Amino acid sequence: MIYDYLIVGAGIGGLSAGLNLAFNKKKTLILEKNSLPGGLVSTFKRGRFEFDTSIYTLYDYGDDVHVGNLQELLNKFKIDLDTKVIPFNIRLTTPNNNLVIRGEINDFLLELERLNEGSMLPLKEFMKITKEIHEAKNLLLTNSKINYDKYPNFYKYLDYDAKSGLRALKVPEDAINLFGFYWLELGSPLNKLSFIDFADFMYKLIFKKETILLNKNLDFTLKLTNRYQELGGRIYFNSHVISITKEKNYYLLKTSDNQEHKAKHLIFDVSKRYVYTNLLPGTKEINELENARSLSPNGVVVYLGLNRSASELGLKNYKYYSFSTLNSENNTKYMTSLNHDTFSAYVPNVVNPNASPKNTTILILKQTYFDEVFNTLNLNNYAKTKEEIAKNLIANFENTFKIDISEYIEEIEVATPVTFVRYTNSVNGSLYGYMAKGYDNPINRILSYPDEEQSDFTFVGAYSLFGSHVDNAFYSGYYLTEQLLKKKEN
Amino acid sequence: MEDKILKLKEERQKISKSYSKKTPNPTYIDTLANKHPEIQHVIIKEIITETPDTKSFILTPDMETTFELIPFKAGQYISLKLNINDTYVTRAYSLASDPSISSKKYKITIKKVENGLVSNYMNNEVKVGDKLLISLPVGNFGYDPNRDEENVIAIAGGSGITPFMSLAYEIEKNYPNTHLTVFYSVKTAKDIIFKDEIDLINKKSKRVKFVITLTREKKDGYLNGHLKKEMLEPYISEFNTILMCGPKALYQAMNEILSGFNIPKKSVHFENFNIEYTPSENNEYDLKVILKNDFIVTKCKSNETLLEAMEKAHIKAPSMCRVGICGYCRSILLEGKIKMIGSNMPTAASINDYIHPCITYPESNIVIRLDI
Repeated sequence: MIYDYLIVGAGIGGLSAGLNLAFNKKKTLILEKNSLPGGLVSTFKRGRFEFDTSIYTLYDYGDDVHVGNLQELLNKFKIDLDTKVIPFNIRLTTPNNNLVIRGEINDFLLELERLNEGSMLPLKEFMKITKEIHEAKNLLLTNSKINYDKYPNFYKYLDYDAKSGLRALKVPEDAINLFGFYWLELGSPLNKLSFIDFADFMYKLIFKKETILLNKNLDFTLKLTNRYQELGGRIYFNSHVISITKEKNYYLLKTSDNQEHKAKHLIFDVSKRYVYTNLLPGTKEINELENARSLSPNGVVVYLGLNRSASELGLKNYKYYSFSTLNSENNTKYMTSLNHDTFSAYVPNVVNPNASPKNTTILILKQTYFDEVFNTLNLNNYAKTKEEIAKNLIANFENTFKIDISEYIEEIEVATPVTFVRYTNSVNGSLYGYMAKGYDNPINRILSYPDEEQSDFTFVGAYSLFGSHVDNAFYSGYYLTEQLLKKKEN
Repeated sequence: MEDKILKLKEERQKISKSYSKKTPNPTYIDTLANKHPEIQHVIIKEIITETPDTKSFILTPDMETTFELIPFKAGQYISLKLNINDTYVTRAYSLASDPSISSKKYKITIKKVENGLVSNYMNNEVKVGDKLLISLPVGNFGYDPNRDEENVIAIAGGSGITPFMSLAYEIEKNYPNTHLTVFYSVKTAKDIIFKDEIDLINKKSKRVKFVITLTREKKDGYLNGHLKKEMLEPYISEFNTILMCGPKALYQAMNEILSGFNIPKKSVHFENFNIEYTPSENNEYDLKVILKNDFIVTKCKSNETLLEAMEKAHIKAPSMCRVGICGYCRSILLEGKIKMIGSNMPTAASINDYIHPCITYPESNIVIRLDI
């Protein structure tokens, strides 16, 4: 049988592409190398703890009143999730700052005003234009022509980076850095990040808020998978694609279990770089754009199961951030060493009491890195190095936030870039796809897509056009298959 | 009005054109990650008779395909992948050798089990020079300095001693502040596996000690009887980590003893050593296995796991730990009533009808989906 579409990888992008194609009655097969769907979005169990591997927050989902784009699309496919909108509950520390951001956006702005007089009004001004920018960007996703007269701010700020855009709006310098703290661990300096993508994210964050899944990641990804199958889509697990050859009018994919699958069009929920390096070695030339791009940072995640309740431990905040500095350009430089002070921590129990059994707490620590930080790692020192990185990260958390956790550790698991490569084939273990910077911000990718699109291959997921996180990965699968379907109609 | 857009597109084009067309090299991390093959090829270098019914096998890389073995952490196991009389089977064995030389050699130790297909095959049939296929080292059982205390008490029953031999070397070499006491419970002196190795460690090491108790024999130099609170008492400190490996009866007895020492649950860890299950009935059911492009119908007895039945039917079903933990054999139950013994899978997987065939027994005719 020759499928209409073959999708390599059942990450969020692959599942979303599959859902839309199956919804439109296309013969679709997803090949997933692991025995569970979700890619980076998964759940594993250690002892009495169930740990989510990556997402703790959905953006652009919202609630019944403020319906985000992601929720709209999931509703379209009749996928119903148990979710809850949560307020800000963040503790943030740098060598010069120590603050708690709690409550709604106005509470955040008041705190910014308190710290930097004169931030409130320009930031309110900024909030007003984010809606226009978000709407214009959404029109681009559906490949519609935009009447730029109707979106003057979108057009005005197209060639602004986040920093210069906020400066133009007269936001004080220190307030800019603090307002943009979300990008610090992603390694995206604000002076290289597009103002459009920055504003679009802030729109989602401010007006659709953060939403948590009340069940585990795996519940979400299995819902997507089950619905895809109900719609007639097929998925094979334990199917690692090892080669691709072009036949007369289809592509032939071989998997590690010696099976062969055929399709006219291929959709990859892995990076272009992975595909050209590993699956199409016959193709000597990878396009120059691939070589020009940089990868987002990779990272270490430490999953801890603690045998006390969050309140007993003094863990009051949902997220903890420590930054070497709030200046994103400088902070990125620190990330090229294994010992730096930028890391984050999540305590899901603070927002969801069912995150782990009664009187226990899950704490997730994450640190991200650039460049050759791991180049002394080898098979023989791997286990020991992993232990040491985890030890330092735990100690760093305890010292920074003055909270003792080490004596309460009942379960511990550590994921390194090697773990992420092995599980997801993400190049270098990068956690957020390609770096969003300069000419390669999502908005630039979207604008150039009509010229760069390949005829028989489509790339979805965090490495696709829109960037990382569930909302963007899902949009890549949905909107790019929408375009394929439209094209077929014409 | 669209000048800006053209400008942005041109800039992007210009930058990419200035770069090379060559396929980029894999990164350091990618190369390292790819050094973890799913299968390792090994040769049996040496066979050691440990007791009348137990043999150890020294495995070294089969240089034709595998130059170095993947290092392991003490407590991890490998899955042996065998083809016995045209039947594809796997078995999990803890690694018993020194982890610091694990790239050159592994040691596994196998005790004969009555009617055991693999244990008898390994003890009776294989010889030095034979080639074997094994998995990567896997498993989460072991010592973790970030989690565990510096006084470690290990409890071993019978062949449950294997991971602790490896642990003894690891603690001696890697963790200079950690003390390990291994309580090793066996029936009689002639059942002691690794006797010479244990004597040598006891003689040399200041921080690692083995204490052997004989449950069915009295003999000088050994404790006598089942493990008791008094036997452990001298070795318990203010903070302790307990690691256990052996049959279920041992864990039950130990839990009682440990409650007397007030050791928190978080400090007690055990290896899932085997599954123990006696069905209430004695039937044989149909087992239908849906494969990618095909299906196979076979039989499965009440006292036989779905995995065993599939292996008998020559289905190459994936498996690793065979005690319900690793999730490697994960399949979906489409129809039928089953009994799953001691699975440790995420809630979302179990409410979506996932099962681990390695620990699943039939209670009716069964249909499962196996994505192999």
